[in-house]
Amino acid sequence: MTGHAPPAVRPVVTGVGVLSAAGTGLDALVDAAAHGKTAFTTVTRFDVSARRTTRAALLAEPVPLAGAVLTAVDQACRQAGLPTTGDTGGEDGDRRATDRGHRPTTAPDGTPVLLALHSDLNTRAVTAAVAAGAAAAWDIAGVTRVYTGACVAAGTAVADAAALVASGRHHRVLVAAGHLVEPGVFAAFDAGRALARDGELRPFSAGRTGTLLGDAAAAVIVEAEPQAERRGAPVLARLAGWGRAGDAHHVCRPEPTGDGVARAVVAALARGGVAPAEVGYVNANGTGSPLADRAEASALHRVFGAHTGRLPVSSSKAVHGHALEASALLELAVTIGALRDGRLPVNAGWLGPDPDVGLDLVLDGPRTGRPRYALTLNSAFGGANTALLVAAR
Amino acid sequence: MTGLRVLAEARWPEPGRHDPLPPIPGFTTSSFNPLVAETAERCLRAHHGTAPAPGRTALLLASAGGDRATARAIDEAAASGQRVPPLLFFQSNPNAVLGHIAARWGLTGPVVAISPADAVPGRVPQDALDLAALLLADGDADQVLVIAAEQADGTDRAAAVLVTAG
Repeated sequence: MTGHAPPAVRPVVTGVGVLSAAGTGLDALVDAAAHGKTAFTTVTRFDVSARRTTRAALLAEPVPLAGAVLTAVDQACRQAGLPTTGDTGGEDGDRRATDRGHRPTTAPDGTPVLLALHSDLNTRAVTAAVAAGAAAAWDIAGVTRVYTGACVAAGTAVADAAALVASGRHHRVLVAAGHLVEPGVFAAFDAGRALARDGELRPFSAGRTGTLLGDAAAAVIVEAEPQAERRGAPVLARLAGWGRAGDAHHVCRPEPTGDGVARAVVAALARGGVAPAEVGYVNANGTGSPLADRAEASALHRVFGAHTGRLPVSSSKAVHGHALEASALLELAVTIGALRDGRLPVNAGWLGPDPDVGLDLVLDGPRTGRPRYALTLNSAFGGANTALLVAAR
Repeated sequence: MTGLRVLAEARWPEPGRHDPLPPIPGFTTSSFNPLVAETAERCLRAHHGTAPAPGRTALLLASAGGDRATARAIDEAAASGQRVPPLLFFQSNPNAVLGHIAARWGLTGPVVAISPADAVPGRVPQDALDLAALLLADGDADQVLVIAAEQADGTDRAAAVLVTAG
């Protein structure tokens, strides 16, 4: 008994907001991904001279983290046609943290706000600033829950948002996330030898040496399909399925056969009532890590069997970098944009085939495609895995 | 705890006991991860006896403050230009200790970490129980081990509860 039946109420996405190294808005990001235009540059916002790797994907202009998140929230709310108070605050967010702060609450219309952030000494202050900014601009009364589960934090938040809508508990959920490259995390990733020594993120490629970090903020409005239709909101995509599963394997190493990833994907497909052969694109986790990419490829072979040879796969991290807690939301946005535009993200940085991978990687762009269903996958330390199944409109 | 049935509970420190937290191989500098692991261990042992645990158990770590000692050590090393000790890279991530627990007990459910707004040290916050209920109702887990841990100067406190749909 897995309990992964298709939902009674179908969750859809009615608004997407993005701020990334590719620029402001979803169009800039999707265009960069479709052309494989990478955004990595030498880090100058802090001293990286003592680090083995000096590159990351950075926003053109530095902004406070809460301000970046609020900018993404603003884009998403406007696209979804939600009413504004007229004070969209934006980059002033960090300066407007008030004692309203982070209280477990929901918006006046009952809309929960799920926020994914890095767990550090600033988490509460950033949450308070996001809550204050969202209250001023959108009359949202606070942040309901903060997810700190590393690279699946936002993926878990989206899955939970979909579950809240599908079960009829809420008509609408706002999911937001943000990560900006900063000295502590950069130094820790460098010390852990997780960053690419050659300064390029090469998912699934021969010769890959690690990941590169990226700035990003993203927001999506998840809404019940009947409500979205009633109020005439734009339906950008449907969250057809979702899955969360653990490896039960190691503190930080992935289970080599990709068992946990595979179970998350199977759960997502079961919820969507979708057969593996119906999936036409996978936005893979693909961090550029030698071990993790191999495990993820193994998972795809396990789930998709012979269909794997005809299944386009890419990791858009090769373009926008690894945004850690925000990565799953950023990559959901990329996937929604790819389905909308019919252009698949390019797996940039590729040097040649890794015989242990064996995937149909999207190596040149723009590559057109009109898949009906796409998956976006994320994995994290602790063996955490999430899978989101997105249906085109 | 509407919709939840409690299978086992544990806390740290236990009343009247002052034994030290057992260290975890590969984790240094901070008591946070040993605090989480030992409280989880006691809760799982109370229900299952010995590893592995059957079925799909999710792990949900709730901590308002997080691993403050590790975060501080990383920030200080980065600010001073020193090399960050490599082990801190792994343990700075709240999922890491959950991976340790999951591997030891064979827990294959979702691995989740949250920072609840209202956390009373030594008590499992309502936010975490609400999320546990959602995970169970949504069908990705048969049981959820919720661990609430807060690190304060000299007064680390944690509580764990193993729940299933009630």
